[in-house]
Amino acid sequence: MDTHLVPGARFVDPKVLARVKDLELLAKTVVDGVINGLHRAPHFGASVDFAEHRGYVAGDDIRRVDWRLYARTDRYFIKQYEADTNANLAILLDVSKSMAFASQGVSKLEYAKFLAACLAYLSHRQRDRVGITTFDEAIVTHVPPSAKHFNVLLHTLDRAVAEKPGRLLANLDLLAERFRRRSIVVLISDLYEEPDRLIDAIKPYSFGGNDVVVFHVLDPAEIAFPYDEPSRFVDLESGDEVPVVPERFAEQYRQMVQEHIAALRARCTDARIDYALIETSTPLDQALFDYLGHRERLMRVR
Amino acid sequence: MSFLAPIFLVGLAAVAVPILVHLIQRERRTVVEFPSLMFVRRIPYESSERRRIHNWPLLLLRLAALAAIVTAFARPFATVDPVAAAVTGDREVVVLLDRSASMGYGDRWSRAQAEARRVIDGLDTGDRATLVLFDDTPEETVRATADHGTLRAAVDNAAVSSGATRFAPALRLAQSRLATSGGARQDVFLITDFQRSGWARQEDVQWPEGATFTPIAIADEATESVAATGVVLEREAFSGAERVTVTAALANRGNSAVSRLDVALEIDGRVVERRDVDIAPESTTAVSFEPVTVSESNVQAVIRAGTDKLPQDNAFYFVLSPSRPVSVLVVQGDETPAAAGRFLSTALDLGREPAFRSEIVSSARLTPAQLEGRSVVVVNDAALGSAAAALLTSFVERGGGLFLVLGDRSPAGADWPLLPGALSAPVDRLAVRGGSFGYVDYSHPALDEFRDPRNGSLTGMRFLRYRGLRPTADDRVLARFDDGAAAMVERRVGSGRVIAFASTLDGTWNDVPRHAMYLPLVHEVTAYLAQYEVPAAWQTVGRMFDVSSPVSALVRDGQLGADGVRGVRGVVLTPSGRQLTIGDGGAESFALAEQGFYSVRLAGTGSRRPYVVAVNLSPEESDLTAMTPDAFLATMSGSGRSVATTREIEPLTPAEMEKRQSVWWFLLVAGLIALLAEAALSNRLSRRVVPSPTAR
Repeated sequence: MDTHLVPGARFVDPKVLARVKDLELLAKTVVDGVINGLHRAPHFGASVDFAEHRGYVAGDDIRRVDWRLYARTDRYFIKQYEADTNANLAILLDVSKSMAFASQGVSKLEYAKFLAACLAYLSHRQRDRVGITTFDEAIVTHVPPSAKHFNVLLHTLDRAVAEKPGRLLANLDLLAERFRRRSIVVLISDLYEEPDRLIDAIKPYSFGGNDVVVFHVLDPAEIAFPYDEPSRFVDLESGDEVPVVPERFAEQYRQMVQEHIAALRARCTDARIDYALIETSTPLDQALFDYLGHRERLMRVR
Repeated sequence: MSFLAPIFLVGLAAVAVPILVHLIQRERRTVVEFPSLMFVRRIPYESSERRRIHNWPLLLLRLAALAAIVTAFARPFATVDPVAAAVTGDREVVVLLDRSASMGYGDRWSRAQAEARRVIDGLDTGDRATLVLFDDTPEETVRATADHGTLRAAVDNAAVSSGATRFAPALRLAQSRLATSGGARQDVFLITDFQRSGWARQEDVQWPEGATFTPIAIADEATESVAATGVVLEREAFSGAERVTVTAALANRGNSAVSRLDVALEIDGRVVERRDVDIAPESTTAVSFEPVTVSESNVQAVIRAGTDKLPQDNAFYFVLSPSRPVSVLVVQGDETPAAAGRFLSTALDLGREPAFRSEIVSSARLTPAQLEGRSVVVVNDAALGSAAAALLTSFVERGGGLFLVLGDRSPAGADWPLLPGALSAPVDRLAVRGGSFGYVDYSHPALDEFRDPRNGSLTGMRFLRYRGLRPTADDRVLARFDDGAAAMVERRVGSGRVIAFASTLDGTWNDVPRHAMYLPLVHEVTAYLAQYEVPAAWQTVGRMFDVSSPVSALVRDGQLGADGVRGVRGVVLTPSGRQLTIGDGGAESFALAEQGFYSVRLAGTGSRRPYVVAVNLSPEESDLTAMTPDAFLATMSGSGRSVATTREIEPLTPAEMEKRQSVWWFLLVAGLIALLAEAALSNRLSRRVVPSPTAR
């Protein structure tokens, strides 16, 4: 197995991961590796802060009885913490045709699938409810978050194909209504939309107390634009063709992409939305590792 | 340039295909599927980019390949005139540059050098040229080289010589150079003043077929040319010394009169007399100077006649030496009356050129000292003892001359080896009133003067008696009597000569002393026996000079021992100051190539004046009359054109010209090579293109 030696972690080349057909195995491999590399086990979307008391019911662990409150009230109450509240992990996966682009071994969609599987596995491991919604020009599949839907989620991921053009903003608007319960909403997409309009579409998710995380998945070629031959560029989604002479074009393109990424990052930060740019050439576990480490530090600040 | 099948040139339109491929097809061929054109659409597209040529080498290769192949099918050929078509390739050029003395007139030489440089500069890189400098003899200075720098340097270093102009040897040298070169294109450039005296019409020069002869005339109108063409030396004895009157011959070859021309006589570098002379145009005159006493040999004298544009012929060099009389010893018997030798000695004393100095001695008192310095001994009807015979034998073997006058006293049956033939008893012709010469060998140098009847006839002499003489097979009979008996017989002994005359010279047996031809006969025979040569006061440029002449003179004068004839050594100083070695491996003769005085100093002559040879220009070199180049060509080749092409060349048809040139074959190969290169280059470029991303 091709690995990158980084202190504390072993990162796996996405092209190698792509050979692992079993998404669960893949997710387990990656997540276990990531967890081993972290200083402490991550609690993705969980909190150990005190939340509330509830009455003791038969079957509750007597170690969690608040004995101080029993002394004052002579009734049994169980202390409930944030972590004890099982969260919903809702993954919004863009399966529009643009996600099929691959300049190297792994397409954006494949990479996104791996990422979604890993996140779902991590959440499922801490008994959170996991669900997934895939969409292109319309909503393709909707799996509501459930503790029992992990396998369904993996199955959904396995079947997801990019074959239709996408309507990201419209779908986000449509789906926003469905997440009334507090959830962790993870959007995985290549985000070919105007940053302002995109943030406007995502913001409603955070209003309901949802924790919104945006994974911006891009192929390296979309950033570096390594073309040097005059060519006709065809839009994967619309089929439009544009002649391009990269000699003069490339530099402008790279600058616009960087401006786009910077704008997205800034808007997300303003809206307290986690934003992570991931290139498909980056080892998945490394991306996950970096993101989780970053989120952990961020949680402490919050 | 023409084409045998021009219709194929329509195919040249195909060269537009690679251009269109480069401009259009190449962009359409590459399609890149990209996730989103959101950013691409924001960047304005420059349509001019579409028209850019992206790979010039590839495009040029394709164009070249197509053009070469299409042109090959059109069968191109070059249309040139038949002569030029027959002579393609590098040229073989011969540059004939006249350096004779006449080229020193005015600025002719510098103009000739400039013309030569112009010819050399006009040569192509592969042309080979030969530079021939010529006067009376051609010199191949630079032979068949493509190094034009060497040719230019040779032209720059060349100088005018003192030689006369002779075109024929130079033209023949050029002819042989072209004949051996075998080059397809042959050019001859003749740069000269076309002096008429240098060209004899009977000269036959045949140029190779197709050779081009280009005359370049340097001549200009020679308006002034005065030349000193010679001197006449008149000698006379005066107070025991010899005085010489010098008369100079002057010629004005210009077309205007010359007045008060300053003519000077220089002796040993000092002007001894000046005269002013007027000379009419195209005429000659003579000017005499006061007699000068000549007391020693080899005095250098020069006549200088003014100055003009050709200074070389304004000076005439000559040598003054006192005349050397031929010393003759007349040997008589004791019993011979003294009057017997009077006719002979008187005849000798009357000699002028050469002068003779005679002495009569008795045969009984002949000593070796008396033979010292003698040129000829005349044994005048005398019997010789063995000692005297031995002395004379030795004398003749060393180069002396012996004149045997046979009479009554000449011993019959003598075994003297010097006697040419066997002597017998006298023959008496009194009965028939005397005999006469029946045969005279006028081809003999001693009798050559009498060949012309106007000089008188020897046959008028009457002989009443003479001695019978039977020459041997080795002897040469110079004259016979009318009865067939030998009258004069010559025998060569060693280096000397012996002539026997079968009758007397004292008037007793014949009337010879009283005959008008007596004096010249005695003078000629004696001079011949003395091996006398008229001393030349000057020589002409181009002659060879034999060192034996001054050596013989020195030996006769007693300044050099007889051994000096053999193993002569010495040094010759030329007018330009060069030194030539004589003997000891050096030449014993040398060419007189320069005008002026050559000094010959021989080993063993001490501090005496060196032997001097005066050398002058050839008289015809002063005649600057020029031919026109057309007249020259006409007399040379029968054609007045500058291009002397003698070969008949049939004009070629276009098909023949195309077939000979076969350019199509080269074009086709070039086109195929270009196609192969194009394939290799485009494959290489294709590998360099970034693979197109794919959508999954």
